[in-house]
Amino acid sequence: MALLNYPSLYWLFLKNRIKILMEYRMNFLIGATSTIMIQGAGLLTVWVIMSQIPDLNGWTLPQVLLIYGLITLSKSINHMFADNLWTLGRDYVRTGAFDRFMVRPVDPLFHLLADRFCHDGIGNFLVGGVLVAIAAARLGIVWTPGVIVYFAVMVLSGGVIFIALNLMTCVSAFWIMDSVPVTRVVFEMHEFAKYPLSIYPRAIGLLLTWAIPFGFASYFPATRLMGLETPLWQAYGAPLVAAVLLAVALAVWRFGLRHYGSTGT
Amino acid sequence: MISTLKRDLRAYGAIVATVPKMFMAYSIWVWMSWFVQIIAVVILVAFWRAVFSNTATVGGLDLDTTINYLLLGMIFRAGQNTDVLYEIGEMMRDGRIGITLLRPLDMQATYYVINLANMGLNTLLSIPIALFAWLAYGLSLPNDPLVWLAFLVALLLGNAVMFCFDWIIGCVGFYSTEIWGLSVLRYGFGLFFSGALIPLDMMPDWLRTIASVLPFSQALYLPVSILAGINPVSAMPRIWLIQLGYLVVFLVASRLVFGRALRVVTVQGG
Repeated sequence: MALLNYPSLYWLFLKNRIKILMEYRMNFLIGATSTIMIQGAGLLTVWVIMSQIPDLNGWTLPQVLLIYGLITLSKSINHMFADNLWTLGRDYVRTGAFDRFMVRPVDPLFHLLADRFCHDGIGNFLVGGVLVAIAAARLGIVWTPGVIVYFAVMVLSGGVIFIALNLMTCVSAFWIMDSVPVTRVVFEMHEFAKYPLSIYPRAIGLLLTWAIPFGFASYFPATRLMGLETPLWQAYGAPLVAAVLLAVALAVWRFGLRHYGSTGT
Repeated sequence: MISTLKRDLRAYGAIVATVPKMFMAYSIWVWMSWFVQIIAVVILVAFWRAVFSNTATVGGLDLDTTINYLLLGMIFRAGQNTDVLYEIGEMMRDGRIGITLLRPLDMQATYYVINLANMGLNTLLSIPIALFAWLAYGLSLPNDPLVWLAFLVALLLGNAVMFCFDWIIGCVGFYSTEIWGLSVLRYGFGLFFSGALIPLDMMPDWLRTIASVLPFSQALYLPVSILAGINPVSAMPRIWLIQLGYLVVFLVASRLVFGRALRVVTVQGG
């Protein structure tokens, strides 16, 4: 058999998934826009409050929106392409469906990710994109090629940070059959990164930099984009942080995979 | 002898090992929700402290009152979030609705009671959050039993309003056989317009009007604002009267809609 061509295989999975989604067009639209509703409530709150106060401890509304938009974009990458990591325990390990992946000539992790492109993430992507565009316009950020490349690399790195953390934690499904609570606890830390890290106690800033580094997905690149003074390691650290996290996550995944005992149903 | 002992120990060890696993498989969800809520509390307090860093009041409220109101809103939010919409959706998907309707009990009354029990349980489950908020941020609760009584009545009335409201939306599902989109919409609206994220006092007039007319604030802002001292007990009779008015309208509407919807209910599967 010829060497598997993963990109074209992914494309095949994606086409299939879109066909399924198009069976229920209304559900597709609702799903794709559902996150906009939830984000809308939070954003409306920020807007209502910030239109009544001079600043948020020194931060202006566009600055806050840029940070919020960056983390939302990074999150949307994870939401669209790696959402299946959430359901590993419930839908694959517990039901025994994961056995299917083990006997196929495709990498199980690839199979798991490709199995379900999650259209709900499109809403997050749109919200994040619009927020960044509005904030950038209000902050006078000029989209030179350099800025565009920097921005794209940062968002992609942020997405990888999300995916790596979810991958690391979803492995718990191989032991406890349900990984959502473990993943959620770590994932939830990204909520901090929706706002400037400087508004929190110092310990939280350190946590979001060194342990669960969502700071690299929003706050650090945002301050750089705003033209604020940002240490080099913070401004450009995201790709390295993402790469290291991903390497660790893959090692954890392989370790978990070796301990996978089927449910035997 | 030794080998039998070894084997026994291994067997017991395996059994012992299943206990934390079983504990982990279920109660881990409760731990997760506590953890997630504690993060929300920490963010909430940090965000609002930053909001008040260069201003003394927003919408007439000071920092302590605002934080206290929002924390209390988190603790008692179960009144606004009835689960009935998800319940109806699930029953429709797996066809259980057929059996439920055959039971010799009024379906709406049954689910109202379940909703009350859920509210009680969820409020009990938020005690650790209240403890955390008290220890870390000095959450303050009123001493006056009259305030608590006024709060409780307003909470029950408001929850009944929201129950009927959700029931009506659930009945729409009888026609469309799909309810998820509506429940997302309802959740998003409820999050903002109930006053769970900001007290109604801070909204601009036009938003405040919308929030007061929509039913969501009945079960969150109205009761919690009494507990947080934003609304005095003397304002209670008027608030109760408004809530009663809402309740009558939504109760009658929900009975009517339910009666009609029953004619078209689709029982899937079987």
